[in-house]
Amino acid sequence: MGGPVSRWANLAGALGLFGAVAAVAVGLPALNRQIPAVRAVADGRYEVGAGISVLPPAGAAVDVTGTRPGPTQGSVLFLLGSVRYVVVASGPTLPGGPKSLVEAERRVRQKIAKIRGYQVTGGTTPISTRQGVTGRQGSYTSPGRCGWYAVFYSPAGVAEVTVSGTDQALRGAMAPIQASVAGLRFKALAD
Amino acid sequence: MRAGNPTVVRPTPPGTRPASSLHRPAFWVVLGLLGIGAGYTVADFRQPLASYPLATTVALILFALYAVPFLWFVGSLDYLEREPPLLLLTAGGWGAMVAATAAARGNRAAADLLAKLVSPHFTTVWGPAIIGPTVEELLKTLGVVAIALIARKQINSVLDGVVYGAVTGLGFQVVENIQYAVSAVELAGRGDRIGPVVLTFLLRGFLGGLWSHTLFSALAGAGVGYFVVRTDRGRPARLAVAGLAFLGAWAFHFGWNSPLLADGFGPGIAGVLTVLLIKGLPPLAMILWLVRSARQREAAYYVTALRSLGDPMIATSGELTALATGHKRAAARHYAYARCGLPGSRVVRRLQRAQARLAVAVSRDDPTGQGDEARRWLAVIRAQRQSLIHMAHPEAAAPKDRRTPAGRWALGLGLVGIVVPLVALVAAGLGAHGLIRSRRIRQPADNWLTAGLLLGGLSVLLWTVTYAIRATGGA
Repeated sequence: MGGPVSRWANLAGALGLFGAVAAVAVGLPALNRQIPAVRAVADGRYEVGAGISVLPPAGAAVDVTGTRPGPTQGSVLFLLGSVRYVVVASGPTLPGGPKSLVEAERRVRQKIAKIRGYQVTGGTTPISTRQGVTGRQGSYTSPGRCGWYAVFYSPAGVAEVTVSGTDQALRGAMAPIQASVAGLRFKALAD
Repeated sequence: MRAGNPTVVRPTPPGTRPASSLHRPAFWVVLGLLGIGAGYTVADFRQPLASYPLATTVALILFALYAVPFLWFVGSLDYLEREPPLLLLTAGGWGAMVAATAAARGNRAAADLLAKLVSPHFTTVWGPAIIGPTVEELLKTLGVVAIALIARKQINSVLDGVVYGAVTGLGFQVVENIQYAVSAVELAGRGDRIGPVVLTFLLRGFLGGLWSHTLFSALAGAGVGYFVVRTDRGRPARLAVAGLAFLGAWAFHFGWNSPLLADGFGPGIAGVLTVLLIKGLPPLAMILWLVRSARQREAAYYVTALRSLGDPMIATSGELTALATGHKRAAARHYAYARCGLPGSRVVRRLQRAQARLAVAVSRDDPTGQGDEARRWLAVIRAQRQSLIHMAHPEAAAPKDRRTPAGRWALGLGLVGIVVPLVALVAAGLGAHGLIRSRRIRQPADNWLTAGLLLGGLSVLLWTVTYAIRATGGA
């Protein structure tokens, strides 16, 4: 089995093993929390993904940890103060995607309702972009915050928008955000 | 130590007991990590089980069953010198609970870090190729290191490292696949339905299963095995080999996850399969070659141990040749079946198992076979030998490899069938027909028929699965 020397070596090895696992599972997240995620947004349209782009509201910053652009799907998380403005885009060829606006909206409402403490409130009303893509909009609440969602469905893809913030913060931010949402552009429709 | 390359295998010293691991600090650290990992795994699955009980349960069952053929294959590699089941369970548990849960957290954090330090776009495109291999191969390889720290004396050869690596990777693969299946159900947004689970099973289980975590970890595990066993080499050399093996696992994983060939060769099934084969076949071929080489070296060691007893009643020259490889052992059993029916095949199976156990007993500091363990297996061998003599089949050797025109056609068509599905069907049919006929007329089969059946069958399966996925809009 080995004497004291090999037992010390075994202990050192075991501590190294533990340290390596801890470095990955705990160390990396801790390091991640130390580095800020917010970046300034360049002027002009922001490519969300799947050929869908948006014009960020003035003063918005982007949280890179909630942002993942891609050719068939993508997401972006804008921050206006404490208000979170998320756009999730998916292309028409994405497997398992919604087949209609009704289904797309149902999925968004389900996604919101699944989060603990979140509640979809009231009914939904129609909305459309300047490009003419139709959608539905509604509202929701979460602990200490209010929220608004919109979902747009077209042959060129689906865009889901969620906005959340305190009541006071939202009052100041909703107008520029809704203007930004109205400016959602589906590249395949423009071509 | 045996003649030839004496340090290829380091037998477990006689009198080694599982309980001796309890005295090692590493045992308690690994146990603690397994406990923590188990807690996190249960917590991670609590919400899916509550939200999608049917889909999650089906995923758990499907992917648990999926592990069975892999475990059978790993077990067949390990035929001569079996690894203790408890250690294999530890390795699988490490992969499933420690590596998988740590990787989930580590991958997320690493992806965020990459997005912060480079860009979100870079992270989307290259993140899976850089982060996945780095985090996951490290954590899985640590599983084999854990086995070495708990029970170093049970890692007797490079092949043992391969086995522990493969089992660690398999545990990881199963849990990861279940997580993907549950995510697919959630993304589908259609409630508790098993459709997305089945689709994930086909995609990740079949199309991605052969050349995935099990394979990559087997390679990295071989490096750990080399480091542990080859103490005739200096530490820098052993570290270099272990490092290279890890790098190889990392590189294959990187290639598999990379965006290269992401657009494939067109949207059709052929295009999808071509990319899979280009990305998957090279690592599969290389690792199978490594496994074959490691297995041959280990087999040569144990066969030499048995040969040194110099008693043809224990093992004839032909039986020693057959004992060394899986397909020759199977051929010997089939030959016995051809001549003596099922009883003959069973006796040969028992004889082979007893010969393997005797070889291990003799190699553990008992070169004359006088110890209790050796005597026990000698008694079994003698009993089986008497049965074989009684059946007029005194030697359990494999017949000479038989080549037939049907076997050549089956193999050739099987190779063509990789790219032409109808031909694969013909190859599989030809192979199956030839094997059934051989069995019926009680003649040893041409093993090229088996190769044709396997190649053709696998190709048909891959094509069918790919077609099914495309038809359901899954890829």
